[in-house]
Amino acid sequence: MKARSLALLLWLCWGLPAPALAGSDPFELQVRPDLVEIGAFFNGHDVKISGNIPSGAQAVVEITGPAAAEHLMRKGRRGGLWMNVGKVEVQGAPSLYLAASTSPPLLKAPPAGAVWGYPALKQQIRFAGQVKPEERDRFLDQFFQLKESEEIYGAFPGGLKVKAGPQNLQTVTVRIPLPTKVKPGTYRVCLTVVQGDKVIGQQCCDLKVVMVGFPAMLASLAYGHGATYGILAVVIAIVTGFAMGYLFKGGGGH
Amino acid sequence: MSLSLYLPLAGNSINILLLFGLGGLVGFLSGVFGVGGGFLLTPLLIMAGIPSTVAAASDSNQIVAASTSGTYAHWRLGNVDFKMGIILIIGGVIGGTLGVYLIKALRAMGDADFVIKITYVVMLGGIGGYMFVEALQSLRRKPVERKKTVTEPAKVSRYNRLVQSLPYQMKFEKSGVTLSPVMPLILGVLVGILAAIMGVGGGFIMVPVMVYMLRMPMHVVVGTSLFQILFTCINVTIMQAATNFTVDLVLALILLLGSTIGAQFGVRLSKRLKGDQLKILLASIVLLVMVQMLLSLVLPPYLLLGHKGGH
Repeated sequence: MKARSLALLLWLCWGLPAPALAGSDPFELQVRPDLVEIGAFFNGHDVKISGNIPSGAQAVVEITGPAAAEHLMRKGRRGGLWMNVGKVEVQGAPSLYLAASTSPPLLKAPPAGAVWGYPALKQQIRFAGQVKPEERDRFLDQFFQLKESEEIYGAFPGGLKVKAGPQNLQTVTVRIPLPTKVKPGTYRVCLTVVQGDKVIGQQCCDLKVVMVGFPAMLASLAYGHGATYGILAVVIAIVTGFAMGYLFKGGGGH
Repeated sequence: MSLSLYLPLAGNSINILLLFGLGGLVGFLSGVFGVGGGFLLTPLLIMAGIPSTVAAASDSNQIVAASTSGTYAHWRLGNVDFKMGIILIIGGVIGGTLGVYLIKALRAMGDADFVIKITYVVMLGGIGGYMFVEALQSLRRKPVERKKTVTEPAKVSRYNRLVQSLPYQMKFEKSGVTLSPVMPLILGVLVGILAAIMGVGGGFIMVPVMVYMLRMPMHVVVGTSLFQILFTCINVTIMQAATNFTVDLVLALILLLGSTIGAQFGVRLSKRLKGDQLKILLASIVLLVMVQMLLSLVLPPYLLLGHKGGH
């Protein structure tokens, strides 16, 4: 069990595929859409995830972003005033984590050794910098609260709906809202099937998020030709300022 | 169609009407008081969900538009002292460069955040408090007393003697003052240092400096301050876009549409208000921001972890 948990953790960190758990299409996992486009009027997007699991089993669905080091500031009191007092580097935390379960306790209080939910993330997140070892649990909770406030972490206990499926199966479905702050990239969607406290199978697939149209063009100019972009921004601002000044010239007097 | 617009560099989407309204409000204040409004708009944008670094840089870009519009409007009214403005700009650039090095040294020592916060509270509290009390006293003074004051022989203070003893005395016709260019140059350097430390254009420091230390009339102060802010913000926008990639043009465009319209209404109102009324209003806003900042320093934060950048 320990070895399997470790393998799953490694896999969740974008390492190895989970051995023996994922067949080619064991649970008929479907993600709609599997490509989300960030255009000029993007305001988040619901992703519908569904699958078929054995009758009597429970399931957890997760959308996970690739882990990357993140630099945060720790607040503290100095001279009686609250301010940033040191840097904290967070390693191993996924850039996005959204999870839903069929049964609320599966996410609220997962069994020991569970490879899903915040307890599993706690095992893989490491702090460097101004956090003492004895403060780790407190700052992990703070980190999750920060991410939840930004809507890029979220848990939906009981959000995965179950209904009778074909043959001796039951169909699970959930709509998970991708937040407006989601970044372009490839995300992993996994359906983990649980019987009692044991994982009986897992199936994963990719969800792609891409920037398109005007936002993509602007981002490409800004990151590729920063100085030109800056001068363009200034010219547009000056022309607009003059134009507005000219437009208002005739209206209302002093 | 959704009223939300995706901001590619901020990496978030936001309601267009909210942005337009925020821009309009700050542009209005910019037109009335001759301040860039960065000290107000940046915190408002952060509250609306924009990352602090993108909020500050994009704010500079929209201030370019608002101050262009405001300077143009004040120039038409004959309220811009270009000679004084250019000297203040030169001082501001020198001071800004010195301030950047100072912040770098403080960061290396780990005290930058503390110095920034304390400077903010002291400067906002000092300037806002002084301006408020002074303008209130002036408003309460009876017209007869005012007349008396005018006819009394003016006392020559130590500050006046110092100003008059400086070399290269010249007349600034638009402002109606005669003084050495060394004085605005030194004050420009000092404001530039403070602006760099605080990460703002410096309009809310420059306005009281022009009123109380350079003795310029309030309406010329507003136009000249906008002229000086325009150049400061052009420099900041290009630097931020080239080095930090934090200028979100979409965000700036919506803000500047709101702010340029707001600035025009602000300029009109500024002509209807008396100088002392303008001072009291600006002082009240400065003091409100100071109190909000002081509370954030004194009250325990909701979370002990936060993102880098912004103050």
